[in-house]
Amino acid sequence: MSHAQRAPQSPQTPQMAEPLSTVADTVIRAVRGALITAAVLIVLALFFGRLFGPLWKSLNVDESFSQTLAGLASLLLPLAVYLALGMGARAHRKRSTTQAAVITIALATVAVAIFYILNTSQGAGAAAEQSSLQFAATQTADGIVVDAIEPGGAAELAGLLPGDVITALRRDPITLAQLESAVAESEPDTPFRLRLLRAGEEMQLTVRTVAVAVESAGLKLGPIAAAWIGGAAVALIGLFGPPGWAPYILLTVSLSPLILGFAWLAVATVSYRTQGLLPIDAQGNVGGLTLENWSFLGIGGEAPATPIWSYAANSLFIAMLMTGVTLVLSSMAGYALSRMEFSGRRFFLSLTLILHSFPAVTLLIPVYLVLLNLGKIPLIGPHIGFNSIGGIALVMIAFGLPFGVWLMKGFFDNISWDMERSALIDGASRWRTFWEIILPQIRPGLLALGIFSFIGGWNAYLIPAIFSIGTKAANLPVYIRTLTGDTNAVNWNQVVAVGVFQMIPILVIFVFAQEYLLNIYSGGSKGSS
Amino acid sequence: MNMNTSARARTAPTRPNLTAYAFLAPVAILVVLFFIIPALLVIYISMTDLATANFTSDVGQMTFIGLKNYETLFSDPYARKIFFNTVFYVLVTLSLFNVGGALVVALLTAHINRRAGFFFRALWLLPRLMTSTVYILMWERMVADPPYGILNQLFGVAGYGTVAFNTNHIWTFVILVNGIIGISFGMIIFTSAIESISKDIMNASLVDGSTAMQRIRYVILPLMRWPLLFVLSYQTLSLLTSYEEILLFTNGGPGVYQTEVWALTAFHRALSNYFGNAQWGYGSAFAVVLVIVGIVLAILYLRIFRFRELVSEPKIENL
Amino acid sequence: MQVDIQNLTKKFGDVTAVADVSLDIRDGEFVAFLGPSGCGKTTTLLMLAGIYKPTDGTITFGERIVNLVPPRERNIGMVFQSYALYPHMTVFGNIAYPLKLKNVSRADQQERVKRVADVMGIGELLDRKPAQLSGGQQQRVALGRALVKEPDILLFDEPLSNLDARLRLTMRAEIKALQKRLGITSVYVTHDQVEALTMADRIAVMNKGRLEAYATPEDLYDHPRTTFIANFVGNPPINMVDVELAQENGQVVARCAAFTVPLDSERVRKAVAHGRKLTMGIRAEDITLGDDAALTGEVYAVEPLGREDMLDVRIGAESFFALATPQQRMRAGDRIGLHIDAERLQFFDPATGKSVLWE
Repeated sequence: MSHAQRAPQSPQTPQMAEPLSTVADTVIRAVRGALITAAVLIVLALFFGRLFGPLWKSLNVDESFSQTLAGLASLLLPLAVYLALGMGARAHRKRSTTQAAVITIALATVAVAIFYILNTSQGAGAAAEQSSLQFAATQTADGIVVDAIEPGGAAELAGLLPGDVITALRRDPITLAQLESAVAESEPDTPFRLRLLRAGEEMQLTVRTVAVAVESAGLKLGPIAAAWIGGAAVALIGLFGPPGWAPYILLTVSLSPLILGFAWLAVATVSYRTQGLLPIDAQGNVGGLTLENWSFLGIGGEAPATPIWSYAANSLFIAMLMTGVTLVLSSMAGYALSRMEFSGRRFFLSLTLILHSFPAVTLLIPVYLVLLNLGKIPLIGPHIGFNSIGGIALVMIAFGLPFGVWLMKGFFDNISWDMERSALIDGASRWRTFWEIILPQIRPGLLALGIFSFIGGWNAYLIPAIFSIGTKAANLPVYIRTLTGDTNAVNWNQVVAVGVFQMIPILVIFVFAQEYLLNIYSGGSKGSS
Repeated sequence: MNMNTSARARTAPTRPNLTAYAFLAPVAILVVLFFIIPALLVIYISMTDLATANFTSDVGQMTFIGLKNYETLFSDPYARKIFFNTVFYVLVTLSLFNVGGALVVALLTAHINRRAGFFFRALWLLPRLMTSTVYILMWERMVADPPYGILNQLFGVAGYGTVAFNTNHIWTFVILVNGIIGISFGMIIFTSAIESISKDIMNASLVDGSTAMQRIRYVILPLMRWPLLFVLSYQTLSLLTSYEEILLFTNGGPGVYQTEVWALTAFHRALSNYFGNAQWGYGSAFAVVLVIVGIVLAILYLRIFRFRELVSEPKIENL
Repeated sequence: MQVDIQNLTKKFGDVTAVADVSLDIRDGEFVAFLGPSGCGKTTTLLMLAGIYKPTDGTITFGERIVNLVPPRERNIGMVFQSYALYPHMTVFGNIAYPLKLKNVSRADQQERVKRVADVMGIGELLDRKPAQLSGGQQQRVALGRALVKEPDILLFDEPLSNLDARLRLTMRAEIKALQKRLGITSVYVTHDQVEALTMADRIAVMNKGRLEAYATPEDLYDHPRTTFIANFVGNPPINMVDVELAQENGQVVARCAAFTVPLDSERVRKAVAHGRKLTMGIRAEDITLGDDAALTGEVYAVEPLGREDMLDVRIGAESFFALATPQQRMRAGDRIGLHIDAERLQFFDPATGKSVLWE
């Protein structure tokens, strides 16, 4: 007894206190980490650049993705290596922070040197050589004006003269940016058939690319110093960076396209026009913020420039119809499938499940015919057929029903049986039990499905676009698309304003109902995990 | 009299539960109208030569031509390219975004502050909540040539040359555009799977002194097999058949069928009157291929995942 | 209202949940269905309620066969283990719901709900939502809802098992008193033998879907028909030993591997007549501790229960529950003598588990 009352003894097998690592250990660990990192990235670059890409090329797929990934891998390689060096030395901080920093900087210096040698040594670096047509040019409104020709170069050989205006590559109009990147990415000795204007006359020339050294080798102190400072800094981040930050940085970086896109939307909607992310006024200077783009609303006495409100009304009507009907029908069917006994129940359950994952969008062609025929029904036909709001809503409701029914069934499954039995014993019919007792219990489910349906209806583009002609049943997304159609001169900033106008309700819902939205998919797939 | 009633009670056949059928009827009607009939119809249309010239909405008036559309399809040189385009697109988007990316985002957001994780997941949901036309508008400007393009402006600031993103790199962006929308589905499923891992297991692993990476490798991932399979199968089907974003973004271009995928072809042939000649029959042949793939995968998916749930019987009987 | 159950059988697919149960319930009687979980007692109750349809057999309320009568036409009230209160309604709404469904006028609803609520002592809680109530209060609301329509039969499905021990004791007494006062025929399902023994007029013991016994509490305790009943009823559980009865020196002795003990009583003689190899049951309270006894054992463990100590006494490989007063200060390891009251012994046929004393 007295033994047990003593202060708890240290565990039988105390964790062996790890001996503090020596300098040699740390160097080995850091170098090993850096080598592994480099090897992984090199394998990735080789896989995508030399194996995956060519495979698809041989299957006639004009993809650029493999090259992008391979390029990204080689671009990130030095950074990753510096980072790995720093992280490899982290353990050494327990012994001495200064020592760890010195080791890290020393190793980073070596790495910088190795990369520099690899880059500058002939043929060793991937960036040492590049295809070129060997002329300089500028982009003008007429085309690409050739400014200068490199003596003895490919362009001179082919007969290109300064002052020529290049208008197209083969038959496709081309900009300088496109030409430059096409040349840079081509293998040496690739023919480029250029269409050009010389003294007002159209003619064609074929220029073959040659490989040129990008930059002559030689010690240039500026870039070396910059690379060294950068490398050491990254390595030190690896050494001292708080580990908890890594997920935040990764998440933010991966979201950057979205952040950039939203930033542009925000700027563009209140600008005269934009270049990149910058607002530009009529004279081409930065500035030019204006609310002019929003005049389409017709607020402030001006007559609305566009029938925006009728499209908005169509959007709203489709969305509300979808929400209401989907909620009622899904919950009724979901209730029957979850709580009722009837012959054919298994069949209906399997059917719901199969339809739940079946891609309804593949059926749009025959659905067109179904809508045309529904339109022939006397009286109600015009309201549920082709080119009617009812018809569009009906198709979207039907396509969404299997999901809704399954979601609702999941919610009903979780209601206690005793509750329902109790209602039946109290004297309620099945319908009243459903309506008065069970439905109020699944309010979260109804809210989730309702929000989901509303957003789906409000955002719908494809089905309204296919099954409507003109303005009668078209909604906001369809209208936005017609604004950017190739027949009109596009006022991008007004399009953006309409787009932002369309997004307002979505953003409001997003702010107030994120939790429901985040739960909807997991609710629908309950039991699968 | 008692005996009689008793005999009746014992032998009374199960009456059809009319209430249940009444509850199901509206959904059943819509399913027949918009799933069953269209599924049969698309197969029939694919065996007719229905086109703009001889268009009719009356099924009886269409000209039956047997499997001729399928012969055309299999000898169409572009069908091969489109097929491999589709395989490439689905494979890359699925592995890097809808499944891989989703898993990474779910794991990352599960290992940071709860509120922050929720915030990031909510942000990831945004692309799915935007209407496709505005979302694509955003991307069109992202990849545009200078001086308008956002990426080219950033490249300029960083000292790189201009890149023709919207022609030479268009596949990269087709995948990004769809992948960024696609992440949220898997992310949500994986997150709820991670959150449902019992706290005891996690704590036990913590007590054992494991690092976050070890916990992911030995505790979380082994328990994620079913969610992974679910997302994989579900999203394969979804990527295979959805084409709205590609339609809006590149419409299959800019080169000849450069980014055309199978589902988009069906749409182009039958529903988009760009050349003024809609080939309903031929387009339906493309659609039928997808319908069959869809049905097969859906049934497979039913077999794999949900069958146990179907077995649970209602605990109230119909008197 | 009297209830008659004849050959009641319920199958779920291939699984038989209730097999050929027959019993009658007199008007105003309180019957408990007692048995371990999965014995079919709740299924039987739900068939009485009209939630499940009998596969075979009949249920008669009064003169009327109700097999196919939907629940709302049976005029029953039911209290569930989970209370099954409607969370979106107030207490008033919950209790008034059965009346609302019967289209009782608003004024009458008010009055009848008030009356029931006062009887149940929840008159002040009528405006609250169920989530704002304690377990005991929820239980009262559930009972009130079952009573408000003045049912012919009250059904209880383990209504007290979610309450804490003290409250359970109070509610037990209240339900019993209320039932006697109102005289409503009641069926009470429980797995707790104490509840069944203290509340019921008669107890139906069920095991594996079959009716093991249907008798008054005293009869069940004193005259267990099977080893199952003997084991299930009584706390601490009855001690069971497989013995061989033999005549030695004109005396009957019970012999097993651990001990041999002489026994003499009317019951023993009746048992001997039946056969030699038997299962002998001894209740703990029928074992007296003393020094001069034919049997001695070693105290293996002592469980203080407050009023008394429960002893686990070992004789060889056999283990017996016995009771001692705390004043006896029994300790593990003590050797004590055991005196068995031979007049109170039970004997069962080891092959069938049936009592050889009571038919």
